Amino acid sequence: MYHEITVWTRGIIMDKEARDVVNCMATAASNAGLYSHYISDYVDDPDRTNCLIRKYARFGDQPIVDHFVYENPRPDWVVLVEETLIKGVNFFRGTPEGQGVLVVNSTRDPEYMLRFLPESMRAKLSKLVVVDAVALAEQVGRSPWMFVRDLGQLAYDRMSTEGASERSEVGIGIAAPLIGALTAATGVLPLEAVEQTVYDKAAFRRGAEQHVVLDYAERRATTVAPT
Amino acid sequence: MSVRNTRIPDHLRLPFAGVTPAPTEEAGQELFPTGNFRFFRPVYRDKMPPCNNACPTGEQIQKYLDFVKHERFLDGYLTIMEDNPMPAVTGRVCYHPCEGACNRKDHDEPIGIRNVERYLGDYGLALADDPIAPTLPALNGKHVAVVGAGPGGLACAYHLRRLGYRVTILEAQAKPGGMLRGGIPHWHLPEEVLNAEIAKIERLGGIEIRCNTRVGTDVTWEDLGRYDAAFLAVGQDVGRRLQVEGSDLRGVMGGLEFLREAGYGRPVKAGKKVLVIGGGNTASDTARSALRLGADEVTIVSLEARDELLIEPDDLEQADDEGVRFRPGTACVRILGDGGVVTGAVLAQAHLAKDEHGNVKPEVTPDTEFQVECDTVMFAIGQVQNLDWAPDHISERGLLKADDYGRVEGNIFAGGDIVRGPAMAVDALGDGKRAARNIDKVLRAAELTPPDPVEVMPYERLNPVYFKHAPRIEAPMTPPAERVRDQEAEVTLAYSTEQAMAEADRCMSCGVCNGCDNCYIVCPDVSVMRDARENGHYSIRTRYCKGCLVCVQECPTGCLEKVPELDFAEQDDVQRMETAFAPYDGAHAEQSIPIARIHEQAIAEYDGARRRATRDTTTNGEG
Repeated sequence: MYHEITVWTRGIIMDKEARDVVNCMATAASNAGLYSHYISDYVDDPDRTNCLIRKYARFGDQPIVDHFVYENPRPDWVVLVEETLIKGVNFFRGTPEGQGVLVVNSTRDPEYMLRFLPESMRAKLSKLVVVDAVALAEQVGRSPWMFVRDLGQLAYDRMSTEGASERSEVGIGIAAPLIGALTAATGVLPLEAVEQTVYDKAAFRRGAEQHVVLDYAERRATTVAPT
Repeated sequence: MSVRNTRIPDHLRLPFAGVTPAPTEEAGQELFPTGNFRFFRPVYRDKMPPCNNACPTGEQIQKYLDFVKHERFLDGYLTIMEDNPMPAVTGRVCYHPCEGACNRKDHDEPIGIRNVERYLGDYGLALADDPIAPTLPALNGKHVAVVGAGPGGLACAYHLRRLGYRVTILEAQAKPGGMLRGGIPHWHLPEEVLNAEIAKIERLGGIEIRCNTRVGTDVTWEDLGRYDAAFLAVGQDVGRRLQVEGSDLRGVMGGLEFLREAGYGRPVKAGKKVLVIGGGNTASDTARSALRLGADEVTIVSLEARDELLIEPDDLEQADDEGVRFRPGTACVRILGDGGVVTGAVLAQAHLAKDEHGNVKPEVTPDTEFQVECDTVMFAIGQVQNLDWAPDHISERGLLKADDYGRVEGNIFAGGDIVRGPAMAVDALGDGKRAARNIDKVLRAAELTPPDPVEVMPYERLNPVYFKHAPRIEAPMTPPAERVRDQEAEVTLAYSTEQAMAEADRCMSCGVCNGCDNCYIVCPDVSVMRDARENGHYSIRTRYCKGCLVCVQECPTGCLEKVPELDFAEQDDVQRMETAFAPYDGAHAEQSIPIARIHEQAIAEYDGARRRATRDTTTNGEG
């Protein structure tokens, strides 16, 4: 058993959301007795506001040998912290065929989101999970750009050293429902183990319960392939 | 070591930023297509300006003001003519609901739209050749009857002709014009202007105006059935009389009848001391006309208090200037006479009270009666129409019943005062336009559909920073002393060309792109493209626009708005990147082709220079 989680997000303004997702997942896996890594972004120049950046986690029951590979070459779980990323980037790069679980923070219908995936990416999709994390999180601040934080908190966030020591609690805001939806939809790590690592446990539970799953693997199996 | 003869390669002379193609260049935008930074996309979406929305004929006011601003008067005139066939008339007599709705009133003062319209209307009348006639389609063989040559009937005929129908207008009076001729005095609307506007419509060909033809006597209801369709715009031209003691004395007349006689050029007389009973615009017009006919003293007696008068504020002010007296809050109790001739009237204090149903009715205060001297009393307390000729089921309480499409039944449509009660000329013009379009639909067996819902642009959504305060240019007026003795002297005069252009320039173009170029200038990423400086010619380069929304914020008119990016699902509107940095696999390692060429060229030049230097040295050595 081995999984790679890549979280796509936007530089600076949504950095912490993505960081918390991988942080909690890796910590939970470690607590559950698995081998795990959590890597911040070293390749995408994450100090650029609004640009595409990634955060990574990976865990498995065997020791992880690629210590010095700072990217996930074959991510099978992908989280999009913000919905428009779905049309901006090939987040399934390297994903094995038919194994990709995609979790999107959006208010829209999974069928609607599916139209943004080209055929090459659909071939890698196994589940499309849509969770309205903004509605499920505790609302703080009013900015339409930074989901649930205000500028003061963002300043604290910049003082954090990329997860090595966090200024604010880990697993708050929209990260909590995103982690909940990811954990529940994949079903690999036990919910209780992940919940331990998340600060906002109520929002985590809401995310675990209130998300919409489109099982694309099943649809692919039932649809007769054209000959 | 000397640097003489050392040649700096081209690529090293460039400043650092020049090495990578700039985003202003196509190559730079392909190298890093930042469209995927975007949450919201700026979209050009024209909205309905409030003036256009308020105008019953739906004149595209923003559009023609923009033309006038750029000195394109013919385009402006043609824009009006799409909706309103007589701008020289409405430019003089319209009660301008557009100016009441104008967003500029929240900024400083509303635009003088009516005066600009009048400028364009006069411009159109002065044209040597009619620009409309050549654009008309051939007659399609269908024939529509229009009853009444007032503003509603003329507008309907005009719009039907534009759609290819032959029209016959049946008019009861000796001349066409309806209330425009019989209800509006010449000092408001000169006769020659009205004649010219009507002649313009008649000259289009395919429109026949049959005067002295009254429906009910000369033409029957059944006769109308012989046409393919009919539009009834008979108006209301019978003035109501107050039934008080003495109302049958000589010297008592209807204000409307008085105005009509004057309007049709028949001799009329007003006494020396005139009482006008009524509190609306007809009362004001009657009083001011009486003054011009030589009355020494004209008094408007109204139930309404001074601030309740239904007279247009402009007209009220002008009437004041001309010396019309007012007795607001007063009722006429009876008219006194001697030998069958009016000698005075008994008035009393009164006010308009509301009963429990909200109906307004006069209430006379007891024991306040007093007597005044006068030799003429004119009633201007409303108007009605005789509808005996129409079948009972289509009329109700003196009005014709029409639905929201102006349709009475089948192919019969109606509009103007006979449907809505006394209203503005521009209402009738709008009804005529609507009826024409709907008659066309009915005759083509198309379905009648309600107009599309519109989004009216509020002042709050404009960017007022861009509009510097400028006072409204008031139209010049004839001085009261000069105009008050002349039935023909126009009260309000025309804008000069400069004034019309300056006033049109005040338009804020609410919600409609007017090609101001602001988005084009402010975009920090040169993502706003345009091929002409005109509405509809701007576009957003979606593969590069980062969605900073500076253009939306800085759009003066509010025509640009932000729309969530995921509302759009066209192919390739955003280039999908392979990694966060690179649009395609391996782009990090590769140099873009133009840059690679610069390097290759530099190396080649360097090598060539070395070869030459070596050869020179060798030659020198030998020499």
